[in-house]
Amino acid sequence: MGQKLLSTLTAGLWKRIPPFRLVLGLCPALAVTMSAENGLGMGIATAFVLTLSNGAVSALRNIIPSKVRIASYIVIIATLVSIVEILMKAYFFPLAEQLGIYIPLIVVNCIVLGRAEGFASKNPPLISMIDGLSVGAGYALSLTLIGSVREIFGAGSWFGMPVFGESFEPMTFLVSAPGAFVTIGALLALQNLYSRWRGEKFIQG
Amino acid sequence: MDLIYLAISATFVNNILLAQYLGNCPFLGVSKKLGTAVGMAAAILFVTILASVFTWSVFTYILKPYKLEFLQTLTFILIIASLVQLVEIILKKKSRALYNALGVYLALITTNCAVMGVALLIAKNELSFIAMLVFSSASAIGYGLALILFAGIRERLVLSAVPQSMQGTAIALVTAGIMALAFMGFQGMAS
Amino acid sequence: MSDIVRMVVVLSLIAGVCSTALTAANILLGPQIEKQTDLYVRGPALERLFGKPAAEVLGNKVIITAGEQEIPVFFTREDQTVSTLAIEAIGKGGFGGDLKIMVGIDLGAGNMTGMEVVSHSETPGLGARIEEISFRRQWKGLPVSDTVALIDDGGTLDAISGATTTSGAAVRGTNEALLFVRDYQDEILKTISELK
Repeated sequence: MGQKLLSTLTAGLWKRIPPFRLVLGLCPALAVTMSAENGLGMGIATAFVLTLSNGAVSALRNIIPSKVRIASYIVIIATLVSIVEILMKAYFFPLAEQLGIYIPLIVVNCIVLGRAEGFASKNPPLISMIDGLSVGAGYALSLTLIGSVREIFGAGSWFGMPVFGESFEPMTFLVSAPGAFVTIGALLALQNLYSRWRGEKFIQG
Repeated sequence: MDLIYLAISATFVNNILLAQYLGNCPFLGVSKKLGTAVGMAAAILFVTILASVFTWSVFTYILKPYKLEFLQTLTFILIIASLVQLVEIILKKKSRALYNALGVYLALITTNCAVMGVALLIAKNELSFIAMLVFSSASAIGYGLALILFAGIRERLVLSAVPQSMQGTAIALVTAGIMALAFMGFQGMAS
Repeated sequence: MSDIVRMVVVLSLIAGVCSTALTAANILLGPQIEKQTDLYVRGPALERLFGKPAAEVLGNKVIITAGEQEIPVFFTREDQTVSTLAIEAIGKGGFGGDLKIMVGIDLGAGNMTGMEVVSHSETPGLGARIEEISFRRQWKGLPVSDTVALIDDGGTLDAISGATTTSGAAVRGTNEALLFVRDYQDEILKTISELK
């Protein structure tokens, strides 16, 4: 049992890490990763929703009739997302303004519905919550990484602190829209290269 | 004049897919063949306009007057989900041909953030009815345009020698990046 | 049949619990959100109108009910008497929707200290130029007793070129605020004096 919990906990951090391994949830990964801080904020918000929605869906999995399960999941997820939105507006207002409509859009993030349907509806609450936490943490990690790459090279700073000094000419391309696509594409390719080098049998869809 | 400006801005300059990053999952998923891309674009156009009209009405006449804006996310997603189901059922009954053409994509649209995103943007900017219609149709047309163009590129991409690690999603993302760069060229049109 | 009943019951129960939770969260955190909105959204406008740090003036807030509207009014004191008011007003009919503006009023001199835009959704490069100082500074020193108008309508204010609609919305909002202050000045002062 403990073994299974541990393997679930670590799976989200590499084996199933979104959006690289589990190619889901690309929209926020592209949209809010202008800076490391925004990426981290979005990642934590998503992880929070993911953990709680997995827990709720799993606890109710024997009560919800299968015909209305998707509708019920959507209601549960939408509620959690709205609560996150209210919390962020109350305590992290500038961040909430920066992330804008991408916070309510967590509702349609395929990762959340995907884990609810694919994992939580078949497993008991504790392990489902751990799965949510692990996939969420992996997502937060990825978003922070993408945000860091774009911020360091695109703006010459990291979490708002300058890293290169005055003489550095930032590649503004990276913080603009096309840069997001290229950064994620390049990171994805690096990840594939590493996996192949390690001899893992894994081919990116 | 302002409406034309709004339409151009929503279609090209602030293209919902390449500048606002909404609806990327189906963008990468269904853009492998030109035929499916056209089907998806048509379905998106249809649902986005319909969903915008409904969410706009609910927001303007129910949520806003009664200060229930905090229920926005919940009501919007429920409206979109049930609307998609309803459209699917009606199409199945009334127009078999259209259902066969669009049916598969309809199911995918519920979790397409483009539809929800357009609805949220309209509510956030508190657009008027006419502006809402122009904005939603222009956004959907912009989405369809990017999707169809991109599918054309990807069909060619299959024939080219891509490094092994870049194959699949990675090269698709980089290609999308170059396309987004091209769309940035439209920026001068609207300032 | 019982299946359908069960479906309906479960779904409505979930919906009920969820909306209760949401309403509770909203009521609980509403005041905190209001405070944050004041600090980050209205703060910059207030700073410019009063020439003081936002933290000093944010607490000086009263809400006045005028007809069906609730209007937020901020104020500063000089030697115990209320010297300046900042009144929030809605400028109806901007191009991208209504504008939210703040009008500063010097009670002693009986004129305006300025007009600030709190939030707008106008087009960048056109209507959004309403935030520029060259447009806003025209308000400074205009008397409270007269309505304001654009030059085209026989007034004194220069519209932003290419964005007459937006400029008109700002003017309408200002007139709303002026009308409100003329009608409700006593009530505002009374509410402020009862504050302590």
